[in-house]
Amino acid sequence: MINDLILMNGYGIFVWSSFILTFLVCGIFYYKTRKTLKKYEEEFAKEISELSVEQKKIVLENSKIASKILSSYNKTI
Amino acid sequence: MFNFFYNSNIFTWIEKLTNFINSIFFALLIAGLSFALVFSPPDYLQGDSVRIMYVHVPAAWISLASFSCIALLSIFNFIFKIKHLTLITKSIAPIGLMFTCIAIVTGSIWGRPTWGTFWAWDARISSMLILALFYLAFIFIHKLVSDEDRANKISSIVAAFGLINIPIIKYSVEWWSTLHQPASIKITGSSTIHSSMLMPLLLMFFVLIMYCALIFLMKYKTEIIRIKKKNLKRL
Repeated sequence: MINDLILMNGYGIFVWSSFILTFLVCGIFYYKTRKTLKKYEEEFAKEISELSVEQKKIVLENSKIASKILSSYNKTI
Repeated sequence: MFNFFYNSNIFTWIEKLTNFINSIFFALLIAGLSFALVFSPPDYLQGDSVRIMYVHVPAAWISLASFSCIALLSIFNFIFKIKHLTLITKSIAPIGLMFTCIAIVTGSIWGRPTWGTFWAWDARISSMLILALFYLAFIFIHKLVSDEDRANKISSIVAAFGLINIPIIKYSVEWWSTLHQPASIKITGSSTIHSSMLMPLLLMFFVLIMYCALIFLMKYKTEIIRIKKKNLKRL
């Protein structure tokens, strides 16, 4: 049965290569997208931490998105 | 309405949606692959090679839908100048390009056992290749043109021109004599595909749509952070 699944009456090479290629590309793309997001989150958090206390206060008070980015970053570390 | 895509709640929604998709994705993927590779029957004419359809067709649908979406949002943005739409189109474009390439490559692999060749300058295949070029142009304009307003204008024009290609892709198999088979699934009218193949196909489409949503949410979040980082530098 496993042989049938692998060989697929001679079409196995075409079917398996299509599926493997699709999911490999999707996996790599997912990994790269996630890595870029983490990099940006990290850089953003780093830049916020480098601000003076007053500047930090202004940013976090005026931008709810900025504080959300920081809280979501803090959750992942 | 468009403010929804750029307020602080969007981050809460992105997290909730991402967690939801993550919780159901692997179960759906395993079910989809089981039906596509094991439980669905072989075709009476093409045999087991028909199973390539379960990745090829959803990839092609997603590539066409993504570009239509990009083009319509770009035209809307060109007229009404809603900056959040640029973030959405920029997040969709790489996903669309990836699925266009997957559709072309898996179609080419499927072509070998059914047509006897990996490639032919057939109307459907050529128009899909042109779609990939439109995606590349859209992405590279945003990468190469530093002035964002100018990049938006040029990319909107490119997307609008690319939209002409979508009906050409769809009807190429009817307008010209092509190697590619006509559509088996029709939104209007009766489909010529058996339910034992239609169900796995729709399931695999749903799995890939979930994957696209996951990537889109991550890319959209990245775009927002990128803008916020730019704003920080102005302080």
